[in-house]
Amino acid sequence: MRWERSGRQNVSIKHHKPLLSVENFSFGYDTDKEPILKNLSFTIHQQETILFIGPSGSGKSSFSLCLNGLYPEGVEGYAKGEILYNETPLSTVQKGEINKEIGVVFQDPESQFCMVTVENELAFTLENIKTPREEMAGKIDDILSSVGLIQEKHRPIHELSGGNKQKVALASVLLLNPRLLILDEPTANLDPASRFEFIQLISRLKQERNFALFIIEHQLDDWLPMVDQVIAINRHGAILVEGTPEDVFYTEAEKLKEEGIHLPRIVETVLESHEGKVGETNRPLTEENLASWINDTAQMMNPIHRGNQASPPGVPGRSEVLSIKNVTFSRGKKSILKGMQLSLHSGELIAIVGKNGAGKSTLLQVMSGILTPKTGSRFLLNKKYEAWSEPEMRKVMGYVFQNPEHQFITDTVYDEMAFGMKLNRVIQDKIEQNVNQLLNRFHLISHKWSNPFALSGGQKRRLSVATMLDDTPSVLLFDEPTFGQDAQTREELMQMIQTLQEQGTAIVFVTHDMDLVDRYCEKVYVVNGGKVCFNGQPDELWKRTEILHEANLRSPFRIRIQQLLENLHLNDKKQGDVRAHANIH
Amino acid sequence: MLTSINPTMKAFAVLIPALLLAFTFDPLTPFIYLVFTVAVTFLFGEVAFKRWIVIFSPFLLLAISFAWMTMLHPSGAFSGGGVLFSIWSFKVTSESFWAGISLGLRSLSFAALSLLFILTTDSTKFMLSLMQQCKLPPKLTFGILAGYRFLPTFRYELQVLRQAHRIRGVGRARGVKERLHQFRRYAIPLLANAIRKAERVALAMESKGFTGETDRTHYHEMTIHKRDWVFVSVFLIMFFVCVFLSYQLGSLNIFGKTF
Repeated sequence: MRWERSGRQNVSIKHHKPLLSVENFSFGYDTDKEPILKNLSFTIHQQETILFIGPSGSGKSSFSLCLNGLYPEGVEGYAKGEILYNETPLSTVQKGEINKEIGVVFQDPESQFCMVTVENELAFTLENIKTPREEMAGKIDDILSSVGLIQEKHRPIHELSGGNKQKVALASVLLLNPRLLILDEPTANLDPASRFEFIQLISRLKQERNFALFIIEHQLDDWLPMVDQVIAINRHGAILVEGTPEDVFYTEAEKLKEEGIHLPRIVETVLESHEGKVGETNRPLTEENLASWINDTAQMMNPIHRGNQASPPGVPGRSEVLSIKNVTFSRGKKSILKGMQLSLHSGELIAIVGKNGAGKSTLLQVMSGILTPKTGSRFLLNKKYEAWSEPEMRKVMGYVFQNPEHQFITDTVYDEMAFGMKLNRVIQDKIEQNVNQLLNRFHLISHKWSNPFALSGGQKRRLSVATMLDDTPSVLLFDEPTFGQDAQTREELMQMIQTLQEQGTAIVFVTHDMDLVDRYCEKVYVVNGGKVCFNGQPDELWKRTEILHEANLRSPFRIRIQQLLENLHLNDKKQGDVRAHANIH
Repeated sequence: MLTSINPTMKAFAVLIPALLLAFTFDPLTPFIYLVFTVAVTFLFGEVAFKRWIVIFSPFLLLAISFAWMTMLHPSGAFSGGGVLFSIWSFKVTSESFWAGISLGLRSLSFAALSLLFILTTDSTKFMLSLMQQCKLPPKLTFGILAGYRFLPTFRYELQVLRQAHRIRGVGRARGVKERLHQFRRYAIPLLANAIRKAERVALAMESKGFTGETDRTHYHEMTIHKRDWVFVSVFLIMFFVCVFLSYQLGSLNIFGKTF
């Protein structure tokens, strides 16, 4: 994690004309409604890095498509104001031309490609810009070696890991040699180590190729070292604050929080320990700087606490609700789970972590009873899975899918909530009462008669959880519960989960978010190659660097800072020793 | 070896004889051609027999049922000749018997020809060749290629959807009305997602500089060599050889006319 603030050398460039300037730009899909982006004005200079943040559903992705001229043309929408590239309005530039100057890497690794193999996908880009055929092979090899994928040249894209897919997307965009690169949450679907690797790759390529960067992100910390300028928009699509990262995050933290925008954890840590008052001179933005800041300010107590500490395991009165013994599962000839062991107690919150494709989701599906393992035994409330009837099992066990839309089966939010109760033949009055209670608890009462598909991302997630709660379930399984959520909705969701946990529900997460694991979970299972290679308390896991490395994990923020601090102390001590040593002689 | 034949030319080599075969109503011509096609598939196609037979066997079943139906319900033109055997009230005459066999063999020939093409052709190269040789617009060819990548995801998604609905307690659908309702429940999220994905891919393609212009360079130059012409000719000539052979043996029948 050696990061230099690469962006800062560019301050002098700002006196030149801007690369891209946005002037009073508004954009909307429906002319009858208010625009989703309102009167945006800012500039991007050569080689500058801009971080663009805002609550989920505030139109950030739409904006990225406006910036490279695909919108409003490619969609039923309208735009007001102007976006100028090198002082030419985008609307007057010929189709296809602007895409050579401004490239985009999108969020979803599955839907960015039109060819089967890596090589052909890259060739597709080169063909689009009419590169002579003789030059193509050389260019493809060059770009593949600079993103580190030369080995994968002839492989089908669908066989690659999520991280490598995003690298292919990046490589094919870089072939255009863009002056501005837009990143639309490119790491949202990646495991922690792949995510970090991708960010480092971007930082390296930026130094080599000197493009300007426009980054849209929810998880900010790792990007911060290269950011020159932060632009935050509010939920109405207007600019909220704009400025250097120090100014935006330290001075305007309150405004950001009100809009439900994630603060970088580095900033959060400093603000918390200083109750919001931080001097202008020393405002750390990298983990190294934070560590030395903590060291310098001589914080007597470690300011990095755990947040809501999970109740210690082994509380009396906890009984085993689910157990899995020696479970194997295979798809075709490929064996996915090999001898899985797992046990779950009431009121426990455990996490299942591991790299993409390690078998985490399959394990969850086996636990939920929707997949039947080849061998091994499974017990739910001390009764074999096979002995449960389907409706009875669904009553005591809930499962929240990664994509909430998959679980919607009716046309209104009300029907969605009432569905399970109707199946269980609850009387109408009771249904009415329960549904209203749940809708209130999940802040969905004003959407009672909306179509579930028309809700926002956060609302959909809440609804999908709420539909599992008609009876208080004994076990609740979650596949990536906080995926794509902003700070506020994530916080709300975790509160609900904790309430359930207090009521005795055992909860299982599949997640990539190690901070979530660190903060909320009592026990963590690391799955690698179809086996559990670790199970125990998160704190124990953070000490096992070899397991973290093997399973593409990364220790959480709290631990990383602690380790940096320890190193600092160690260095101080060493220097002290050297000095003492020198004095003797 | 078959994999290196230009896909467009290969398509013609397969299509033209298939069309011509449709007019031969005797059993011998399609039979010889079937033997020829299968021989080429295994001699030059590097196709594993196991894989071939797995795909071919359903066609075999289909061909047998075609033949059987034709035997039992021949059109007026083929109901002549002596009665070979009878089942219940159905009488199978010698002419209808051979007409049935011929139809069965013709369907098998079509199947074998299609398999020869499918099992030895890379879909990407076929599309590229259609674009370069037949001047199909790039918007269409790349669109098809992008869609082709979606098929497995579509299946996966349907599976997840089934599971998710099962978790909600939706049972197996019984009866037509419930089935229709269930179809609607699956269709909406599937379509919503498909549209969203298609849009995303389209945007990603455009942001990589794709405009749909026909004026573009080609990484894989698809060319037509002498051997491609030879290949097409062999398949055509072979058809006429079959016709000639069955004429010599006196069984040729084109469109109901015997020679």
